[in-house]
Amino acid sequence: MTFVAEYLPAIMFLTLALLLFTGFPVAFILGGISLVFGFIGHELDVFNLVEFYNITARIWGSVAEKPILVAIPMFIFMGTMLEKSGVATELLECLQVLLRRVPGGLAISVTVMGTVMAATTGIVGASVIMMSLLALPVMLDRGYDKRLATATIASSGTLGILIPPSIMLVILANMLAVSVGTLFIAALLPGLMLAGLYVLFILVLCWFKPELAPSIGSDEGPRGAVNLTVMVIKSFLPPVFLMFIVLGSIFLGWATPTEASGVGAFGAVLLAAMKGKLTWATMREVVAEFSMTNVMIFMIFLGATAFSYVFRSLGGDDMIESVFTALDIGPHGVIFIMLAVIFLLGFFFDWIEIILIVLPVFTPIVEGLDLAGHVSAEDLLPWFAIAVAVNLQTSYLTPPFGITLFYMKGIAPPGVRMGHIYAGIIPFVGLQLIGLALVVLFPQIAMWLPHLVYD
Amino acid sequence: DDKKVRLKVQSWFPTKVPHVGSQIKDIAASVRAVTGGSVSMQLFEPGALIPPAECFDSVSNGAVDACWGISGYYYGKNPALAVFSALPFGPRWPELLAYFFEGGGKQQYDEIYARNNIKGLICGGTVAEASGWFRNEIKSVEDFKGIKMRIFGLGGKVIEKLGGSAQLLAAGDIFPALELGTIDATEFAMPAVDLKLGFYQVAKHYYFPGWHQPATLYEVIFNMDKWKSMSKTQQAQIEATCGNNIGRAIAFGEANQFEAMKTLKAKGVTIHQWSPEILAAFKTAWEEVVVEESAKSPEFKQAYDTYTAFRKEYRLWADNGYIKE
Amino acid sequence: MRHLLSVSNILKRIVTAIGNVAAWSAVLLMAVILFDVVSRRFFSVGSSELQELEWHLHTVLFMFCLGLGYVRNAHVRIDMLWENLGPRTKCWIEIIGILTFMMPFCLVVIYYGGELTHRSFIKGEVSSSTTGLPYRWLIKSAIPIGMSVLLMAGVAVLLEKIHTLWTFAQGDDDGAGSGPDLAET
Ligand code: NA
Ligand code: NA
Repeated sequence: MTFVAEYLPAIMFLTLALLLFTGFPVAFILGGISLVFGFIGHELDVFNLVEFYNITARIWGSVAEKPILVAIPMFIFMGTMLEKSGVATELLECLQVLLRRVPGGLAISVTVMGTVMAATTGIVGASVIMMSLLALPVMLDRGYDKRLATATIASSGTLGILIPPSIMLVILANMLAVSVGTLFIAALLPGLMLAGLYVLFILVLCWFKPELAPSIGSDEGPRGAVNLTVMVIKSFLPPVFLMFIVLGSIFLGWATPTEASGVGAFGAVLLAAMKGKLTWATMREVVAEFSMTNVMIFMIFLGATAFSYVFRSLGGDDMIESVFTALDIGPHGVIFIMLAVIFLLGFFFDWIEIILIVLPVFTPIVEGLDLAGHVSAEDLLPWFAIAVAVNLQTSYLTPPFGITLFYMKGIAPPGVRMGHIYAGIIPFVGLQLIGLALVVLFPQIAMWLPHLVYD
Repeated sequence: DDKKVRLKVQSWFPTKVPHVGSQIKDIAASVRAVTGGSVSMQLFEPGALIPPAECFDSVSNGAVDACWGISGYYYGKNPALAVFSALPFGPRWPELLAYFFEGGGKQQYDEIYARNNIKGLICGGTVAEASGWFRNEIKSVEDFKGIKMRIFGLGGKVIEKLGGSAQLLAAGDIFPALELGTIDATEFAMPAVDLKLGFYQVAKHYYFPGWHQPATLYEVIFNMDKWKSMSKTQQAQIEATCGNNIGRAIAFGEANQFEAMKTLKAKGVTIHQWSPEILAAFKTAWEEVVVEESAKSPEFKQAYDTYTAFRKEYRLWADNGYIKE
Repeated sequence: MRHLLSVSNILKRIVTAIGNVAAWSAVLLMAVILFDVVSRRFFSVGSSELQELEWHLHTVLFMFCLGLGYVRNAHVRIDMLWENLGPRTKCWIEIIGILTFMMPFCLVVIYYGGELTHRSFIKGEVSSSTTGLPYRWLIKSAIPIGMSVLLMAGVAVLLEKIHTLWTFAQGDDDGAGSGPDLAET
């Protein structure tokens, strides 16, 4: 039985992977497995039942008493309101008219929107969900391929965690004891580079396969320069106003990024009012719809926090550590293996749990590495942090447990299946790996800007 | 032979952060060496087992074996616990140790924890913190009117008395908020830590002394049943390790600030001392806060009275025993 | 068997009412954030209490909507294999899932959430920040209560699924449509 006890975390992992496909809600599977394995652990004398208390302590301390998570409901509220008032649809329709000659024009505008929105929030849930609410219906209406549409939104939405502000970079900085400011600035170019990779991929893909991204016919849309200008002004003004108050409130020092989400939600209500769409019925509809999206996310948080706790308590961290320390390779090999381990963990865990598992093990090893000639000793940790960050952003996208993919599924209209989302994201995960490889091979991509700003 | 004990220890601070978090790594290594491996401490980064703020309850009921932190963080559970780590305008190390170990602090500390099924051991400490990073220079007490400062604990109440406002920002928001002026100031830690975390990149005025958190006692709290399940030898080994670590931590902390301050100066940071008037204003405000806290909690009052009584008596020795610097 | 369905419907109505009310705390949350931002900018009043009120409202928002989320089938499923299964198998999966995963999870969190709240209550716990809000037990109680609502939703869906299976057994395939079919939402 000690054999079973030793491999219990691994068995827990496999059980999750299998049961996810039963179609029972993901969040309940996570929560349920953690209990089942807690009891098994108890029988094998490696788990104390009172430890179940810690699941509640985690729900309280890392989901409820967590000011930064307030941004999630506010962004979802903003997104739902913008959808109901038609503001987003008009903008995207206008972009389609303007970009009708660009292959995949709509997908490219969505990527740009996602990149801009990344500067307004430090967490992923917020931007991905807002983008899904706004852009997905329009893309599907237009006849976009479901795989391409969902993947574009998922990947550009996750840039929110890489492009500053980012809670992930703050936690990485604290755990590695490096400057938050340096990491914020270092993440900027890799983030933009990834956005560039997405755009490039969409362009090439839609050039060769225009049927994936039907562009608007030349007979559709307004005729004449005057009508077109009117359309552009009418459809651009409201979202620009909203961007202005969200970004403006942050950069003028009025609101923290978290609070800016509330300002944005209010802005969306104002826009709906100005368009005459703010009725009691709309408000009720928005509140009802938004709360269901919100609760879908938080239920996953609750299940995931329970799962991670039991996994860790059963010795999951040690198991991963022992796999790693058994290897004996040169410094570049070490970095490669570390990033590979993080990538693989990303299939199943949330970024925060991955950081907590691997950083305490990896950091002392990385500090001991001599990579002179590739990256200076001073830049070593910040550079490594950015590589980890890109890798963790990827973990949001990798099936089967890509949280972003679950969010998308939760919001997408019934015609979109998990299979579409999984299939669509694969090439984008490839782009992430290319981006990661570039950051690893050319540390300047991350470290050039911080030196420019702070030296 | 002692049976093997494995303790899961949740840390309040990332263990990589020098002085504040790194001590628990030293402690764990020493405990392993001193006990010949019969006691091992498995360390967890903040949040890895539980969010550190839940340490009190989880250690109390045995869901977690032990936590590394400071008692003042459990103010919400029992305000008296704020007295046993560091109070605003508290003493330097010799007096702090004298008060805690010989002046009645430890008895009250032990009592409060024992009632909660917790064994607390003072196991380390940190030197005075800096007062904080300010975007703009503070020239007079008036300048505190309207200032928005991210400051935690009883120090926050003092800032509010001076007309400022204490802000409790989300961890991820502090840095951008200071950079963009959403807040005007933040306290963090001591120079060696603040240098690493890069606050100089967004604020250039660094104020001293850290009246809100001078010399600070750090602790490991154990679940009482877990503690009692260890042999007398193991308990003594852990206690001896803690005693040793206090000295080691103070030495490390005292020796490692000036280099960091030099580096910060070279990076364009201005190091300021609070003027005597401003310090006096802080002190007056703090005395008001103490009166309010004492009125709210008899246990706080009792602990605070013991502390002030000792400090009053100690003056006679302190004023005569040492050369004035 | 009809009774099962009516009990299920009553439970669903309770869960729905609670969720519908709690959802409005989002509007309050928005108002509090705005007030905090504006008042800090122009009056610089202490906003620790407001900042804590924000996550209090947010906790109410998600905890009390968990149950309604299940009744409305808002919780994410991986449908790749599931969508190819027959209605009977789906029913069985739901019943087994509720009994072995969902309900135990709810019960454990309710039990220890009760302890969390009780500990807070007897200590008269206040915000650890000293400048925040008092009465921590109030907001902590949202965890066991919210989970109880989810449990109620679980019972409601369970009864409904049992009823559906029973109608299948009666050879009355139309009866299967009496509740919301989870596959279609
Ligand atoms: Na961001
Ligand atoms: Na993943």
